Amino acid sequence: MPEHQGSRRALSQRQAALILLLPFMAVYGLFLVYPFFKGVWISLHDWNLMAVAFNPDAKTYVGLRNYERVMWGRDITWGALANPGFQIVGFLGMVASYLLYRSGRAGRVTALAMGIAALLLFVLPGFHPDAGGRWFDRRFWPTVGNTILFVGLAVPGVTVTAMLLAAALDGETRAKAVLRTLFFLSQVLSVTVVTLIWQIMFSPRQGLIANLTELFGGSPVVWLTAEGFAMAAIVIATIWWSLGIAMILFLAGLQDISKDLYEAGALDNATGAKAFWHITLPNLKRTITVVVVLQIILHFQVFGQSHLMTNGGPNDTTQVLVRYIYQTAFRDSELGRASAMAVFLFVIMGAFSILQFVLGRETEE
Amino acid sequence: MKHAILGATALTLLATGAIAQEVTLGRFFGDCENAGTDTKASVGEACIIQSIINAADATLDGVSVNTLPTDWGNYYDQIKAAYAGGTPPDVHVMHRHRVPEFASLGALADLTDDLDAAGIDPSDWEPAALEAVTYNDRIVGVPMDFHANLWHVNMDLMEAAGLVADGAPVLPSSPEELLEHARAVKEATGQDYLAADFAQFPLGVRLVLALVWQQGANVFDGDTATLDTAEARNAISAVTQLFEAELANPQLNYADSQQAFLNGEAAILVNGTWVVDLYASEAANAETALSTYYAADFPTLFNEGATWADSHMWAIPAPLKANDPETYDAALRVLAFINDHNVDWARTGHMAVRSSVLESDEYAGLPHRDEYTGTADIARDTPPSARYGAIQDVLNREFQAIWLTGKPVDTALLDAQVDVQDLLDR
Repeated sequence: MPEHQGSRRALSQRQAALILLLPFMAVYGLFLVYPFFKGVWISLHDWNLMAVAFNPDAKTYVGLRNYERVMWGRDITWGALANPGFQIVGFLGMVASYLLYRSGRAGRVTALAMGIAALLLFVLPGFHPDAGGRWFDRRFWPTVGNTILFVGLAVPGVTVTAMLLAAALDGETRAKAVLRTLFFLSQVLSVTVVTLIWQIMFSPRQGLIANLTELFGGSPVVWLTAEGFAMAAIVIATIWWSLGIAMILFLAGLQDISKDLYEAGALDNATGAKAFWHITLPNLKRTITVVVVLQIILHFQVFGQSHLMTNGGPNDTTQVLVRYIYQTAFRDSELGRASAMAVFLFVIMGAFSILQFVLGRETEE
Repeated sequence: MKHAILGATALTLLATGAIAQEVTLGRFFGDCENAGTDTKASVGEACIIQSIINAADATLDGVSVNTLPTDWGNYYDQIKAAYAGGTPPDVHVMHRHRVPEFASLGALADLTDDLDAAGIDPSDWEPAALEAVTYNDRIVGVPMDFHANLWHVNMDLMEAAGLVADGAPVLPSSPEELLEHARAVKEATGQDYLAADFAQFPLGVRLVLALVWQQGANVFDGDTATLDTAEARNAISAVTQLFEAELANPQLNYADSQQAFLNGEAAILVNGTWVVDLYASEAANAETALSTYYAADFPTLFNEGATWADSHMWAIPAPLKANDPETYDAALRVLAFINDHNVDWARTGHMAVRSSVLESDEYAGLPHRDEYTGTADIARDTPPSARYGAIQDVLNREFQAIWLTGKPVDTALLDAQVDVQDLLDR
């Protein structure tokens, strides 16, 4: 009898956890898990956005054909030196990760992750259409390349700038607090505002940058329509925009470093840049990993800067993956094809999420 | 007393709420905040259309019109997403070139049998206007204008270069003459001969297309792309020769090219009919460098006259007609009001679609109207296609690559040929 009463009054820990988790699980399932699987489902169909809206039966199951149409081509072959630049780097990367592992300078998981990345860099660029062959979609891989280039420029740019700013602004003075707020402010702006500001900055007729160039006797660069400058322009705007969060993370990391270390360092004559290099940097390793991986995942999804500042141009040099997905889905109404590209993007970002998970665990070990 | 007043207010609110049928309206043309309701006084496309809409909202009993955001760049993406989500606006503007894409899916309401009752007389529409809104012999929209590319002329610069005769600009009749005129303007004034948006929207594409059509060719024919041709090369080199000789700047976007023209930095601006009243009012403004303005027909540089043209029209979603007859009726009344104000819309510079308006003195008396009367006869567009938007984007990308990044013409045309063919094959 008392047992019965007890089970009525108190829930077991498992039951309580379930009940408390339920609201989250419901929302998560409804708005994230379900749409994801629906997206995969759509990617297996020839699915016209508007036609299916008017007639649900207007879709046809096509298996993996959307993936083939987007990523593959006619007479595609593989060569070990088809794209020597990337492939040699990939090959050297594989050798390096093996040597690092053997010499014990890299952990097993780190070496494995590095090795897999290097292997992909060696294998993927080797695919190319034979004479007489062609990619079914000649713009997809260059678009992926542009996206990777954007990430490759924006992530180090944000990380280094944010780290230097954090190191400079870490402290108790009022001026530093004001500056921290100022540098964080750009982060709260929406992409439309950010791109508008930078479109004006880059304008050859009225922009600040053009005025400065002219002041020093140069002729203004037409940033947004010049092939060599358009990508740089959207990277600069992005760095300015996404500095804030990275800076806050670094500031948090800096405050975790014990003051004793700096005092001990000072006794050994390590101050200023020396202290930064030998004390601050090694202690920020974990924060740097978190910032880099978060930024990689964030910037693979770049859209607004390319869409609003350059329209993907000139000559497709700033066309990025999400903009291509958007155009395929909404301009061309080809939801199936667009979903196939979106699944591809998910795989890339998923890989980096796993990497973050792995690296995080390894440091704990 | 207090209760009585409150009660009466609540009742009035309830009553007006019950009577006024709200009609949501989707359009581009841009934003105009204080358009007012005077359809004869507003200036520029955005303000003229909004003044007509405001007047409809104020005049029509029991109808209130709610204008949705008016951005141009992503308009069709938004409209399609709205249709797909089941919430399209009750009436929306669109181009004739989009009719195949929307009507082939049954997205547009068939208005054929309801126009008369709503006070819209299709027999007053010009035959080309009726054709523009007809799909499979059914009327799926109410036409609002014909618009086309013009050559907007700064007469002072032309005069200085000796390119004015009988009060009209002397325009080239061949690509060679185009280069001569451009040199003459540069020598006499130091300014560029021609400006246009070659870097943003597909205005450069429309310029090249006109020159392709002038040679009796086209960029696609049925299901076959016909871009990699001698005619396309001729058309492109007619334009690029100006860039190479530094007589025109390919790097200006829409706003910058327009500003260059208004600042007196270019003798010609290639742009649509939609800016005639705007440039006329700017020319009258003493602070604007442009002071003597002329709106000329697109000149014939090759064998036959041709200029890019299209139509704006209004459509009602098919689901509205099927599911909500009251709002459908209200939407039709809004369209009738816009149709009645066709002459006001023509004040922008667009050509009217109603015969009775075209024959009216008010229309003939609109500024600069007599300067581009030939445009209606040379109006052209690419063949109808559900892929129109994507094809325009391909052409814009490849043509821009030629003049902005120095991509070889042969490579660009071959790439464009392949991409357009892929679109037609899908």
